Amino acid sequence: MRRATAAVVGIGEVPSGKFPDRSELEAAVLSAAAALRDAGLSPRDIDVVMPVGALASSQFNVDLVFSRICEELGMLRGATMNVQVMSGGASSSTMLAVAEALVTTGAARRVLVLHSDKVGSLPPQRGVDLFATTGVSEEWERPYGHNMNAVGAMTSRRYMYETATTEEELAAVCVSLRKWAMLNPHAMYRSELTMEEVLGSKMVATPLRSRECNMLADGAAAYVVASASDAEEITETPVYVRGHGSLVTHYSMSQDLDLAHLGFPEAAKVAYEESGLGPDDIHVAACYDAYPVYPLIAMDALGLCRGERAGAFVAAGHTSPGGVMPMTTNGGMLSQGHTGAGGGIAVLVEAFRQLMGKAGERQVQGAVNAVETASGGTWMDSHVTVLSKER
Amino acid sequence: MTTTRPVPTPSSWSEPFWAAAREERLTFQVCGSCGTATMYPKRLCPTCLSDALTWQDAAGTGEVYTWTEQVAGPPSGFEDRVPYVVAVVRLDEGVQLMSNIVGPDAANVQCGARVTVAFETVPGTDVVLPVFTLDEAPAGA
Ligand SMILES: [Zn+2]
Repeated sequence: MRRATAAVVGIGEVPSGKFPDRSELEAAVLSAAAALRDAGLSPRDIDVVMPVGALASSQFNVDLVFSRICEELGMLRGATMNVQVMSGGASSSTMLAVAEALVTTGAARRVLVLHSDKVGSLPPQRGVDLFATTGVSEEWERPYGHNMNAVGAMTSRRYMYETATTEEELAAVCVSLRKWAMLNPHAMYRSELTMEEVLGSKMVATPLRSRECNMLADGAAAYVVASASDAEEITETPVYVRGHGSLVTHYSMSQDLDLAHLGFPEAAKVAYEESGLGPDDIHVAACYDAYPVYPLIAMDALGLCRGERAGAFVAAGHTSPGGVMPMTTNGGMLSQGHTGAGGGIAVLVEAFRQLMGKAGERQVQGAVNAVETASGGTWMDSHVTVLSKER
Repeated sequence: MTTTRPVPTPSSWSEPFWAAAREERLTFQVCGSCGTATMYPKRLCPTCLSDALTWQDAAGTGEVYTWTEQVAGPPSGFEDRVPYVVAVVRLDEGVQLMSNIVGPDAANVQCGARVTVAFETVPGTDVVLPVFTLDEAPAGA
C-alpha cells in the first residue's frame, strides 16, 4: 500500500448519441471547458494537454495531435506539452496512469485529459468495418470474417462454457445497465429495456443479440489531474488514484490463452494491493462493458459478487439501482453509447462523478471507494484502477 | 469474378505459410534456437528473438477453443457468406489460430469439439485459407 500521489479535480462531459450537427471540436471544447470550470481552474492553470485518439475523422485527430485544443482554449504560451495517449478503449485507464506519473514526478502540474469523437454519425456499415480493424489482424483474422461483434460473441461463448453462465444472465447485464441509463441525461438510450426485449432481439453473432451489441455514439468527456497535495488546494472533492494494475494478454484474440478471465485477475490483485483496499471496501464498480460478458469477467476477478457467479449476481438485481454493488452507473456503452476510445472514459468519468457526489438521480449514497476497469481493441489488455475520496 | 472480401497481404516472412496453404499444408514456425512453436508467423521468435525460424507441417488436428456463428451484421465482403462460423482453434501442437468451421454441420460446433483442417480457395482469387471441419457431430445434435 502507498499514499495516493495524484487526484482528479474536475470533470466535464456532453451528452452521447447521434449529434450530426455537433462537430468533434465543439464537443471537445465544451467538455474540456466544463472540466476546467468544475475544477475552478482557468486554461492558464493547465500545462499538459492529453487528447486521446479520435477514430471517425483522421483530420480531427491530426488537429488533436497538433495542439488545436491549446489554441481553441487559450493555452498558447501557457501549456508546455500537448501529447496524445492512445490505447483504444483502455485509454481511460492508461491516460490516468500517465497523468498520475507526470504530476507525481513534477513533470506536469495539471493535466487536462480529453476525448471527443463522432463514430455515431458514421454510416452504420462504415462503423462495422472500422471496428473490424481495431485489434483484428488484417492478415490472420479479417479474411475469416472476424469483426468486433464476433469478438464479444466468442468471449461470451468461452466464458459461458467455463462458468455455466446463461443467455438470460448475459441479457440481465443489459437490463441492469439500462436501469442506470434511465437516470442519466447524457445517455443515448433512456427508455426501459426488459429481459424479454433483449432475448427477443435479432440474433447477430451467437450467442449475442442486437440489444447485447453496443451502438456507436458521438460524445466527448474530459477530466483534470493534479498532484494529491495540489488537489486539496483546488477542490473540496478530489478523487484520489489509489492503485492501478494491468496486463496485456493479446493483440489478436486468437492468441489469448484465457478468454474467460483475460488479465483481470492479475490486474485486480495488483490494484487492490497498491491501494490497500479490498473487495469489501468498494461501493461502486465502474466496469467497462461494450458487450455484457466483459463486466461479468471483471466482477468475477474483482471479487465483488459476494461469492456468487457474476451472472447470477447481476440477474438477482444486485448491480442495478438500489442494489448492493452498483455497476457502471452511467449505463455503459450498451446504454450511454460507444463513443470510440471514449466509451471507457465515460465509464471512468462516472466513477469520478460518483465519488465527487455529483451523480444526481443515480448518486450512490455514501460512496467513498470505487473501482474502474477498462480494455482496448479486442480486449487486448485488462486494467483495474482503484479510486477513493480518501487519500 | 471480383470480390470485396478482404484477403491476406503476405509479408516476406509469412509468404511460406500461404504458399504451403496453396499446397494444402498447414504450417507453423519452430525456433531453431529455443524450440518455441509459433502461430501466426513472426519475423523473430517471440521467446528468444532468434531469426532461426524453420517451418513444420502441422498434423492439422485440434479442438475448438471458442466460436460464434455470424448470422447478421457481417463486415463488408461477407454479406453472401452469412451465416458463417468463426472460431479460434487450438492445434494439437499447442498453437492457436483464427479460422472458420465449414461444412453442412458447422453450426453444431461446441467449445472443445475436435476438428481437422481443410482448405478453401477465396472465390475469384488464388488465396487458399486453412479452415476446419468437425470430426463428428456431437452426441444428441
Ligand atoms: Zn526462440
